[in-house]
Amino acid sequence: MNPTPQKLQQQQKQESTEQAGAQRTAREFSSPEEILRHDAEQIEVPAALAHRVAESIAREPRVSRSWWQRWFPRRSANP
Amino acid sequence: MTGPVAGESSLAFDDASRGRPLPSSTTGPAANSPESRPDQPKWVSPEFGAIYEEHSRHIYYLSLRFLGDPAQAEDATHDVFLKAYRKLGEFRGESALRTWLYRITINHCKNLLQTWHQRHMVSNADDTLWDGAVSSTENPLRVLEIKELGQRIQTTLGGLPKEYRLLLLLVADQKMSYEQVAQLTEQSVDAVRGKLHRARKAFIAQFQKTA
Repeated sequence: MNPTPQKLQQQQKQESTEQAGAQRTAREFSSPEEILRHDAEQIEVPAALAHRVAESIAREPRVSRSWWQRWFPRRSANP
Repeated sequence: MTGPVAGESSLAFDDASRGRPLPSSTTGPAANSPESRPDQPKWVSPEFGAIYEEHSRHIYYLSLRFLGDPAQAEDATHDVFLKAYRKLGEFRGESALRTWLYRITINHCKNLLQTWHQRHMVSNADDTLWDGAVSSTENPLRVLEIKELGQRIQTTLGGLPKEYRLLLLLVADQKMSYEQVAQLTEQSVDAVRGKLHRARKAFIAQFQKTA
């Protein structure tokens, strides 16, 4: 059974939308490094990780400050 | 740096942003509860907080793509920064801080991979596998679906020898010179250049297979 003209139109519209979508997302990379850089930009560090690291460090005994910490002025603490 | 893991459609990445249970040795039960913490972490050392802010993204990315698992990458990044904090007094500034952190990360991840017996992935660099595998008719790095790119990259990297994977990830960081990569991987700059050439070829061949 042939599809009705209305259905055909709908199908064609959907196909053209899908093609347009594919064109929008298509991208060429010149090297693996470029593709990895792009990938790295898309990745975000889980927000909870900073808290987790900060909490673990808070439980650590104080460490002696290295030469560069002694040379450079201490930043003001978080409010 | 504050949002959830983004840019990845795979289920694996969704897992990383969820409040999965954390090892009790590294965090308390309250640490994972969003209600219990303000938006900004409270650093006992603001200097170290600044180091974390500047480098955590790179350390996490290297861990993620080297280990291939978001949960393990998160644990590895945590452990790397904890080690860095403990060893900060030993850092003499002879190398860039990023290089020093990468060194800790590489050693940590390699130890993990050995521990997990994940050496089955591809342990030997057999370059004949990649020779002639690249189609010359069109750009093999043309990507139609950006949303699936992360998964394809992970599969591609997972199919490469560890050494190639590491070299590509390190040189992808534009702050890293060939000299620094050579220093980190304990080989000459010429060796790095030669292996990178083969690593690129291997990556492209593997990447095509994931299409």
